Amino acid sequence: MILVGVAVAILTTMVLAVIRAVSGPSIYDRVLAANMFGTKTVLLLAVVSFIFGRTDFLDLALAYALINLVGVLAVLGFFESRLKAERGRVDE
Amino acid sequence: MTIIFSLFLLTLLVIIAIAIVHTRNLFVCIALMSIFSLLMAVNFFTLDAADVALTEAAVGAGVTTVIFLTALRLTARREKREGTKASLLSLCVLGITMLLLIYATIDNPTLGDPNAPVHVHVAPYYLEQTYELMGFPNVVTAVLSSFRGYDTLGEVFVVFAAAIGVLFILDARKGTGPEYRPEQAGLKHHLIPKAVGGLLVPFVMLFGLYVQFHGEYGPGGGFQAGAIFATAVILFSLLEGEQAALRAVPRSAQMALVVGGASLYGFVGVLCLLMGGTFLDYSVLMQDPVIGRQVGIVAIEAGVGMAVCGSLLSIYHAFAARHPMEGRDESV
Repeated sequence: MILVGVAVAILTTMVLAVIRAVSGPSIYDRVLAANMFGTKTVLLLAVVSFIFGRTDFLDLALAYALINLVGVLAVLGFFESRLKAERGRVDE
Repeated sequence: MTIIFSLFLLTLLVIIAIAIVHTRNLFVCIALMSIFSLLMAVNFFTLDAADVALTEAAVGAGVTTVIFLTALRLTARREKREGTKASLLSLCVLGITMLLLIYATIDNPTLGDPNAPVHVHVAPYYLEQTYELMGFPNVVTAVLSSFRGYDTLGEVFVVFAAAIGVLFILDARKGTGPEYRPEQAGLKHHLIPKAVGGLLVPFVMLFGLYVQFHGEYGPGGGFQAGAIFATAVILFSLLEGEQAALRAVPRSAQMALVVGGASLYGFVGVLCLLMGGTFLDYSVLMQDPVIGRQVGIVAIEAGVGMAVCGSLLSIYHAFAARHPMEGRDESV
C-alpha cells in the first residue's frame, strides 16, 4: 500500500515536471524539467518493479540512472561549444 | 493497476507529443523528445515488456539525445515557419483516416485477453518450450535469437545498411565541407563533469557487459548492450573531446565492429550448416543440443552487440566531425 502511495507521489511530481517542460518560459526551465523527469523515471521504475513483484527488472532503473547523465553532459557540451563559436565570431 | 498507470502515462505522452509538434525551437524539441522517450520506457515497463523498455532506455536516454544535439550544432536554432494553412482536403483526409482508425480499435481484443489472436498462435509454444530447449528463462531472448533468428539476422543487416547509408551522406572525409577537427576540449576543464563522468565510464561499460551476457536470464541482450557500450564511448568523447574518443576507438575499429558483428552472425549460421544442421539451428554446435543452442545464442548476441555499437559510434562521429558553421542560418 505504501508503495502505491509513493508511486502516486512520484507521478504527481512527474506531472509537475511535464507542466514545467511544456509551459516553461525559458529553455533552461525545460532542460531542468527534462532532467528532473529522468530522475523521477528512475524512481518510478524502481517502485513499480516492487509493486509488480518483478524486482529482477531493477536493471532498468539502474540503466537509466547510469545513462541519464550522458544527456545532461551533452547539453552542457552543446552550450559550451555554441558559446565558443559565438565568441569566435565576435573576435573576427 | 496497470490500466490506471497506462492511462495516466499515455495522457502525459499525448500532451508531450502535442508540445513537440507545437514548438519551433529545436532545442526545446530535443528536451521534450527525451521526456517522450522516458515516458515510452515506463509504458513498456508497466506492460511487462522489460526488454523493450531497456532498449528504449539504452537508446532513448543517452544516444539519441547526443546525436540530436550534435546534429543541432550544424543547423539553425528554430524551425522555419512555413505557410501551414490547413487545406480543407487534408483536413477531410485526416478526419476520415482518424475515424477509420478509431472504428478499427473497436475490434481490438482487450488488454491482456488470453484469447487474443496473438496469444493463441505461436506464443504458447514459445512459452512452453523455451526452458526445455534453451535451458534459460528469458523467452524474449529465446524468440529473438533462436526461434526467430532469421528476423534478427535481417535486423542486424538493416542496422549495417543504416550505418553505411549515414556514412555515405555525412562522411566529412570525402564530402564537400572541409574536415572539422578543432581543439575540441570536451568538458574536461570543468571539475564536476570530469570527476563524475570519468568515474562513470567504466561502470557503464561493466553494465553493458552485464546486459550483454545476462540477456538469457534477465532483460537485455545484444541490441541493448551495444547501445550501452556506444553510450560509454560517447560519454568519454563528451568529457575528453571527440579526438580522444577517435583515438580510443578509431574509425577502422568502428567499421570492423559493424562488419564483424554482421559477419559473425552470418558465420554462426553457416557453421550450423557445415556441422550438419539447418541455417541458424544452433543445436548441432555442441554434443548436447541445449548447450549448443546456448553457445550459438551467446555468439550471435555478441555479433548483434558489436554491430549496434559500431554503427551508433560511426553515426555519432559522422555528425560530430562536421563543421558547425556550415549551412547555419545566421538570421535566426
